[in-house]
Amino acid sequence: MMSSDTGTPERSARTEDTRTSQRISPTVVTVATIYGLVLVMILASRLISPSFGGLSQLETILYLSSFLVFCAFGQGLVILVRGLDLSVASVITVGGVLSASLMDGSNTGLLHVIPTILLACALIGIVNGIGVTVFNMPPFIMTMASGIIVYSLCLGFTGGTPRGFPAPAMNDFMQARVFGIPSPIWLLVVFAALGTLVQSFSSFGRKLTAVGNNPEAAYVAGLPARRLIIAVYGISAACAGFTGILLASYANGATLRMGDDYLLPSIAAVVVGGSSILGGRGTFLGTVGGAMLLTTLSTILSALGIGQGWKTIMEGGVILLALILLRNQVFDGLRALVMRKD
Amino acid sequence: MDRLVEDAVDLLRVAGLSRRYGATVALKHVDITIRAGEVHAILGENGAGKSTLVKILSGVVQPNEGQMLLDGAPHTPRSIFDARNCGVSTAFQELSLIPHMTVAENLLLPNVSRGWVWPERKRSILARAGEIMADWEIVDIAPESLVEDLPLAQRQRIEITRALSHARGLLVLDEPTAALPDTRWLFRQIRRLTGLGVAVMYISHRLSEVREICQQATILRNGTTIETVRLAGVDDAGIFAMMVGHAPSDPTARTVDSTASGAVLLTARDLCVGAVQGLNLDLRAGEIVGVAALEGQGQQDLFRVLGGVTRRDSGQIAVGGVEADLGSPGKAQRTGPGIAFVPEERKTDGIFENLTAASNIVMADFAAGGGGWFVNGQIERRRAGTSAARVALAPRYLDFEVGNLSGGNQQKVLLARALMSGAKILVLFDPARGVDVGTKQSIYAMMRDFVKSGGTILFYSSELSELVHLSSRCLVMYDGRIVADLPGPILSEETLLAAAHGPQGMKEAS
Amino acid sequence: MTDAIRGRDRAPRKTPLISIRYIADSAFLIVVIYALMAVIYVAVQPSALSAYSIESLLNNSLPLMLAAAGATFVILQGGFDLSVAGTISLVNVTIAINPHDGPGGALWVLGISLAIGITVGAINGFIVAYLRIQSIAATLATMIIGQGAALIILKAPGGSVSDFMVYGLTGSVVDRLPFALVIALCVMAFWTVYSRTDAGRNLMAVGQDRKAAALSGINVRRTEFLAFVWAGAFYALAAYMLAAQTSTGNPAAGTPFLLLTFAAVALGGTAFGGGRGGVTASLFGAATLMLMQKVLFSLGVSSFYTGVIQGLIMIAAVLFASAVNHAARPKGHG
Repeated sequence: MMSSDTGTPERSARTEDTRTSQRISPTVVTVATIYGLVLVMILASRLISPSFGGLSQLETILYLSSFLVFCAFGQGLVILVRGLDLSVASVITVGGVLSASLMDGSNTGLLHVIPTILLACALIGIVNGIGVTVFNMPPFIMTMASGIIVYSLCLGFTGGTPRGFPAPAMNDFMQARVFGIPSPIWLLVVFAALGTLVQSFSSFGRKLTAVGNNPEAAYVAGLPARRLIIAVYGISAACAGFTGILLASYANGATLRMGDDYLLPSIAAVVVGGSSILGGRGTFLGTVGGAMLLTTLSTILSALGIGQGWKTIMEGGVILLALILLRNQVFDGLRALVMRKD
Repeated sequence: MDRLVEDAVDLLRVAGLSRRYGATVALKHVDITIRAGEVHAILGENGAGKSTLVKILSGVVQPNEGQMLLDGAPHTPRSIFDARNCGVSTAFQELSLIPHMTVAENLLLPNVSRGWVWPERKRSILARAGEIMADWEIVDIAPESLVEDLPLAQRQRIEITRALSHARGLLVLDEPTAALPDTRWLFRQIRRLTGLGVAVMYISHRLSEVREICQQATILRNGTTIETVRLAGVDDAGIFAMMVGHAPSDPTARTVDSTASGAVLLTARDLCVGAVQGLNLDLRAGEIVGVAALEGQGQQDLFRVLGGVTRRDSGQIAVGGVEADLGSPGKAQRTGPGIAFVPEERKTDGIFENLTAASNIVMADFAAGGGGWFVNGQIERRRAGTSAARVALAPRYLDFEVGNLSGGNQQKVLLARALMSGAKILVLFDPARGVDVGTKQSIYAMMRDFVKSGGTILFYSSELSELVHLSSRCLVMYDGRIVADLPGPILSEETLLAAAHGPQGMKEAS
Repeated sequence: MTDAIRGRDRAPRKTPLISIRYIADSAFLIVVIYALMAVIYVAVQPSALSAYSIESLLNNSLPLMLAAAGATFVILQGGFDLSVAGTISLVNVTIAINPHDGPGGALWVLGISLAIGITVGAINGFIVAYLRIQSIAATLATMIIGQGAALIILKAPGGSVSDFMVYGLTGSVVDRLPFALVIALCVMAFWTVYSRTDAGRNLMAVGQDRKAAALSGINVRRTEFLAFVWAGAFYALAAYMLAAQTSTGNPAAGTPFLLLTFAAVALGGTAFGGGRGGVTASLFGAATLMLMQKVLFSLGVSSFYTGVIQGLIMIAAVLFASAVNHAARPKGHG
């Protein structure tokens, strides 16, 4: 008969949790890293040419990334609940096309038109949400199909060429400056703050995270999962519509393919920002950082005169790099670095 | 009977085995020796390291330190396939069968088709599988049936049979009887194998079974080998003490008596759903009602319908005296005095892994529509504090991501959430399953306090002793109906077991 | 003797030849849908049955069919492969800048194409299976990189494809038997055999329950890796046939394939988790999509609004398939 070390009688025999709590949460580390990278990139571009990396370039980056940030918020919420919104491109187009034709170059009724457009877009999202929850359609298919349908409707509605102009006031807004900073950047800051509040510091956000984390458990816990998911798709579509309105105001007109440049980047921004593509984990601040990272990269590469091909490759490379670095194992490793023993 | 051949060769020798997961130590210097032809039990609470040990032996994970010798040669499997080739085959606790594939395919995985380039004919595959099943005395399962169509008990037998068919040196069985109605078939096959010199590692928490089939047992605690004993020479209390580290608490502490005079909080009449047929039930304030049943008697269907997870087919349910339609768990929580359901599978149906324990607990508030505008970790911690205290969940765990907590603490989180919902009716399916003894005591204490302050609890447990010690009265389910309603004072494991076998069982017992 | 009293012992369901389950699991549904659509098409457009018509339709559909076939491998084991667009663009431009004449040249170009496709697939497989990155995100990145590489090779539509490829491969072997059809049939035959081998079975198993598959002894990583490699090979084939068809190179050749490929796979019924559907179903799904466009055109639907009909049909088909799946599900246990 063997007998071995009978164990030290130190603490009680109860199975204690030997994992220790994080002093610094991994999300904070991620978000900080992303913004750090943006800063580094901007400063590094200074080395290439003194005309780069200045405040004006920072301003350009913030301005341009705002569009991506607005639609990435909605995409981020949808991804958080284990979904995907592929109709973003088409709904952006809807927002732009409707702005151009409904406003028709005049400021009258602006206060009615904008909410109407947002509502119409939200309805598209709600239909997506219903398809996904009530009819159990895979989000990929549902949003792809609705995107195709909506785009086709736009095509028919405009007869191939969108007509009209957004209200002059909107164009003025996009060009205005408040305290020397362009108004879209202010919009970005406000949006980022509100979005973060909603996603990370509200009961709504907690419920969404729960649903994305474990849909079955959410149901058993009494959460109205269906309603939440439908609402989220509605929000995503509204954000896309909002983006479309702003884009049309910026360009003083709408084109049928105006949303194309935002679909995949919206997913990329969410992913690079540290959210899990599987849902249940992610912050909006990270997504904003991700959007800024991608925009910064794109702007600097363009300014450097790098061809479209290499630019695209590098953007893809950055996304890949972000994915590799953001894996869970890396999280655990980082956490192990900053842990303390109890 | 079983005899330990004294001069049999050591088939498996494990020395100094250690395995860490980050900061968690799962195994620490584990030593085990098993002789050829021996059935060796591994005993220990959840978290003691048994499943890690199984994974290492089976090649699923690699140890950090230590060595294993199989028949004298170093055993370092890098995969299940590897381990099988060395003669180690395993029947896992969480069944490893592919649901939408036939029994035959599952048995032969991962080498189903025997041809080199051209795939084997279906008939031939079925025939080969049929031979294997016949060899191991399985006659009631058709090889072409899909695993997902089979009840749990049959699936477990397939899982075991697959391991049996590959067992050449060491057979590892992890909780093999969890879903089996009795042990006779399994023990016959085990004896066949041991007769041929195969060693068997038997992991189970059912001591009576272990005593019947095993000769020796190694007790693990907190990842270390405590002792290896000859089962004939130790009594249950002694084993318990080794597993837990201290003497068992007084098992005769009983709950409030069964003559609960409280108001009727929940009523079910002629309830039909799934396997449940025409079931009647009353739950009164102040009582803990246990449910005893063999596997698959409809208890899951009953609990899920009472918890609001599924809809009933027919019959009435009245909550707080008012007839109610429990359309969803959320609705059940908000109907009358409120029903809170804690499911069996905490990992898949209960916890939100990436959220903190406090968030998980406060989710009850969020689900009810409350929670206020602004939420952060501090606020959640504060709000969760009272409920956490009722289940004796240490406050420092409130900030942990629930996925990082032990099973016991996870269960406490779920129960705290149920408490926080304010429901007066708790429907708990195996609340203390897979949980260490200390947590069990906390859970029992919580349950008793809950009913003392006017609530009622309906709980199912697969542990008869738990039912005996906790229930004010105990219902026995058989074939979707309640066949017995035994008051607390006369409860014993024997009566429960007999009743659980249905009218036949009760007749045999009397 | 069976075991003693054990509550209700359900007898396993017998599986007759044609049952709900078979319908749900196989390509049965999509074949029926395709047949229906073909009937409608012939009714509306009598010239549809001409040899030229059939050949042209099949040539147009083949690239999407091959792309959908490739994507099926990845979807069956539970992942996503967005890189279809990038791979097709990349292979397409490579072919266009490398025209080699004659059958020998066509073979050589085929070899290069497959090499590229397999390499991209291997990279994807490595990232997903061994670096454990989620497939949808990883392939999003590789797709973007692939697109960029295509742009570097060929900045704008141009290049040329050998005559043999353009005329030979898009022709017919015998009257009414287009080469494209032969290829499609070969792919179907390949899948029928492959799905019965261990490799194919492992694919389905991993898609259904990765954990159980691992514990059953299947090398999950290798299975995942192989799925991406097969996908890449089929994408290359799709690009090859696309080049033969369009006779020119285009760095954006792959873009339309992104959504259409998955629409085709979903239409075929494979998007519902591992173990259901397969390459044959996806082939028919792609063929149905392409045929749908022709039918709508023949019915006089304004080209503006074809998208609406397409989207609605897609939704309807997936809903229907999901309903059938639901009916085929096993009943729960107590």
